[in-house]
Amino acid sequence: MAGSERNIFAGSRRDFLKAAAVGTVGSAFGPAAGWSATKTLSLMHESSFIKAYDQFFQKNLAPAYEKATGIKVNYELASVGGLQTRVATVAETGSGPDLTLNFFTWPFLYNEKYLDVGGIAKEAGEKNGGWYDAAKEAVIVGGTWKAVPFGNVGQLMCWRQDWFHEAGYDKFPETWDELLEAGTKLKAAGHPIGFELGHGFGDNHGWLYPLLWSYGGKEMEPDGKTVAIDSDETARAIDMARKLFKQTMNEEVLGWTDANNNKAWFSEQICCTNNAASILFVAKRDFPDIAKVTQHALNPKGPTGQRFHILAPWSHSIFTHTPDPEAAREFLRWLMQPEQVGAWYASAETYYAPYLHAYDNAPMWSTDPRWVPYRDSIATSHLPGWPAPISRASSESVAKYVVVDMFAKACAGASTKDVIAQAVAQLKQIYRVA
Amino acid sequence: MVHGHGWTGRALRLWLPLGFFLIVTLFPFYWMAITSLKPNAELYSTKVMPLIVHHPTLKHYVDLLTETSFLQWTWNTTIIAVVSTAISLVFGSMLAYPLARMNFPGGALIAFTVAATYLVPQPLLFIPLADIINRLGLGNTLTSVILTYPTMLVPFCAWLLMGYFKTVPRDLEDAARIDGATRTQTMVRVILPLCTPGFISAGIFAFTLAQNEFLYALIFLTNTDVRTVPVGAIAELVRGDVFYWGQLMAAALLGSVPVAIIYSFFVEHYVAGLTSGSVKA
Amino acid sequence: MPSQAATLAVPSITVRRRRRGFRHWTEREPVFAWLMIIPPLLFLIALVGYPFVYGILLSLEDRPVAHAGTFIGLKNFVTNFHDPVFWQVARNTFLYTFCATLLKAVGGLGMALVMNQVFPAKNVIRAVMLLPFIVPTVLSTVAWMWILDPSFSVVNWVMFQFGLPRPGPAWLGNPSLAMFSLIMINTWRGLPFYGITLLAGLQTIPPDLHEAAVIDGAGTWARFRYITLPLLMPVIFIVTLFSVIFTFSDFQLVYVLTRGGPANATHLFATYAFDIAMGAGQFGLGASVALAMLPALAVVIAGLAFYMRRR
Repeated sequence: MAGSERNIFAGSRRDFLKAAAVGTVGSAFGPAAGWSATKTLSLMHESSFIKAYDQFFQKNLAPAYEKATGIKVNYELASVGGLQTRVATVAETGSGPDLTLNFFTWPFLYNEKYLDVGGIAKEAGEKNGGWYDAAKEAVIVGGTWKAVPFGNVGQLMCWRQDWFHEAGYDKFPETWDELLEAGTKLKAAGHPIGFELGHGFGDNHGWLYPLLWSYGGKEMEPDGKTVAIDSDETARAIDMARKLFKQTMNEEVLGWTDANNNKAWFSEQICCTNNAASILFVAKRDFPDIAKVTQHALNPKGPTGQRFHILAPWSHSIFTHTPDPEAAREFLRWLMQPEQVGAWYASAETYYAPYLHAYDNAPMWSTDPRWVPYRDSIATSHLPGWPAPISRASSESVAKYVVVDMFAKACAGASTKDVIAQAVAQLKQIYRVA
Repeated sequence: MVHGHGWTGRALRLWLPLGFFLIVTLFPFYWMAITSLKPNAELYSTKVMPLIVHHPTLKHYVDLLTETSFLQWTWNTTIIAVVSTAISLVFGSMLAYPLARMNFPGGALIAFTVAATYLVPQPLLFIPLADIINRLGLGNTLTSVILTYPTMLVPFCAWLLMGYFKTVPRDLEDAARIDGATRTQTMVRVILPLCTPGFISAGIFAFTLAQNEFLYALIFLTNTDVRTVPVGAIAELVRGDVFYWGQLMAAALLGSVPVAIIYSFFVEHYVAGLTSGSVKA
Repeated sequence: MPSQAATLAVPSITVRRRRRGFRHWTEREPVFAWLMIIPPLLFLIALVGYPFVYGILLSLEDRPVAHAGTFIGLKNFVTNFHDPVFWQVARNTFLYTFCATLLKAVGGLGMALVMNQVFPAKNVIRAVMLLPFIVPTVLSTVAWMWILDPSFSVVNWVMFQFGLPRPGPAWLGNPSLAMFSLIMINTWRGLPFYGITLLAGLQTIPPDLHEAAVIDGAGTWARFRYITLPLLMPVIFIVTLFSVIFTFSDFQLVYVLTRGGPANATHLFATYAFDIAMGAGQFGLGASVALAMLPALAVVIAGLAFYMRRR
């Protein structure tokens, strides 16, 4: 310990560290990578709730690649909340795994520490029927592909067919107004709606941004420099959210995070929520009776006649610090070949909806028609911040829950005017509008 | 210390408040226990009475022990907590002893500086610390957290021990010194043993904080086989928005009840403190 | 120190003498004190000092994650000053710290007094009461998610039995109730440590003091007020101040339970700083939020240092 302290303050730190890595201290993490040909690569991932998906990588893909090239690929799992902290630390310190999974807008946050993977992405597109446009929105930073898109974890309407039927609805409502009407009846029958209005990662954005967009509202103008949230469209969207909250939901949704609506669903407390397909997956596994009456639908349309969805992209990037960029690129290229990526998609059924058109009609989509909306929603999906260009600022707005809290405060009782004014002030600061 | 006046006095002074504290502290554990024993179908049911288990199952425990590396995490956590506690107690007493019992220039400043390390918020510390750890080549080793945990444990141990060190009367020390004992001997053989309760409470504190720590462990320990219980459990039992509630609760219980049993042997030594306390005054 | 001449003349004696001289030197109070203090101090400086300086520099920069920073002086602090959420977070943190610490101090003292009595299975019960403190916070918080769920909450369940309409209070959904719930959970978690630490303090109070007081005719309250409390003060003081520090910078509880929702009603300094630094990738701004905790804590710690040195 004394040695390390001295060396942190002395200039000769790096020499000491090299010695330490080879010798005494860092035995577990000091393989002689970089000296000769690369022997191992590490890929960071979220631990998927579909165990077969993680296992497919660990038991099929990684061994296959090792057999083909002699390179062992470590698959390092983190929880959904933990992964970003890991990625940020790795990007900051320039040390750690070679590749990582991205969510949301991460390629825009860490772009300077990510390699250009345009070649791989374009090749993968050519071999797999081309990319969805939405996928490009999530990974192209300033004209450069900073990640290779993988799939979309869509956020859609999940509804109880039996209870909607009892209330006189055999189809999911087409518009927010109809949903309000249906939800009011259903709550009276003891089946409230449960849309997250708290500080989760996805289920809140999953319905609030689409609601805002479908009313014609937006945070910023497409130039990314003019705050546009203060509009009649936004006000109407807020009024709709408030009505939905008051007439169809219980107060608890204000404090929900992403796990609460799943819990509420399986305890049969809510008739409708906005979620990824995880609810139906788990229902099929653990709650067969609930699975039978669980249905999916696209988000309702707003007065603009359009419907929107939140883009929840998964993509893979290579860190600039990787000692052997070519080896990392080679691996990613191999991973995105149809034989590999197709099988990996299939191992999770359709949970990670492919961004590659070649899989639009893959057999996995026909296992259950209820998955299909998750494919169909991709075309109308955007990242938070849209239609302004995705940027660090739009990520900051998400992290500060500007839009979510604007709606949440209104639902908790604040006036539409006040909550919009607060959002304007926050956006001006975030987007550095003079 | 309080002398009872018959049965009612004792009930009011002891059993009633004791029962209250027991219910308050233990009810959530009762909840964890029944949650860990309920099959999923019952867990989510709002129709049955929630306070009892209708169809108990050990499935969550079996899954936890067979499908995750829980035992490995427990072992890691134990090593990390024991070693960082030992370091913290040694460093803590090295700081506390002179600060509590000696007059020397700069003492007040040091005391302040030590406590001031808590001014540095953890969310601010971990990036530069990660940098240090990486440069030392300690990523993914237990050493990384063994080295970092004392940064938050030493100051508290030092301050707490200062409080206890101050309670030992000066004449005891003077007597030992007159008998020819060196300062080190006086400290190790006379003063420190008198402060056993202090060491136990500081040790319990350090051990507990070390085994609960989340942020550093999350960042420094990323391979399943070096993880601690909290990080391992969250990484593998919280998958996206799907929580494995039963297994999480089983992990909470298996991770804490054995520790409580071990602590029960230590709190016995509070009696030693009692007798030593009576020496003074 | 022995003279140089003597050293040259008779080596074997001087070694012994020098050793004695060295020993004599280390026996001097300030020398002994500093020799003891230096190793742990160096350790703290290396592992806390460097990150601290780093953090201060960060707070003066516009420093997006994984991107070079630009020095902007105190601009981040100005931004915070004009950020209503920042002030809400500050209010939350003070309220949270004040209420939880008060509850823990009073409850912990009560717990220690109760546990200081003689009763069967004393050691087991004392250890069992430590459970809330022992169990990993992230996992116990998961249990609280269930306990506080309106449909599963025991409190609500009891209310339903008495005919209260469903769904009952939203313990985490209502902004005020959410803060109340967090304070309760923090108290639940921290109370045992208070109790056990104060118990250790109680045990060092010599029983003869109480006996003498009883002979003098002092009642229970008088003995508590004039013997127990004054002698316990140093321990109460230290535990309280550290409790303030830990509660003030609490992170895990909020991070797992509400992540600051509903609408920032439960955001604390640590979680808000974390969201800005990690989620938004604004390290400079995040550091400035985290450092905003500093003045309040510095006052607390200065008080602590002053108090301890005076005694």
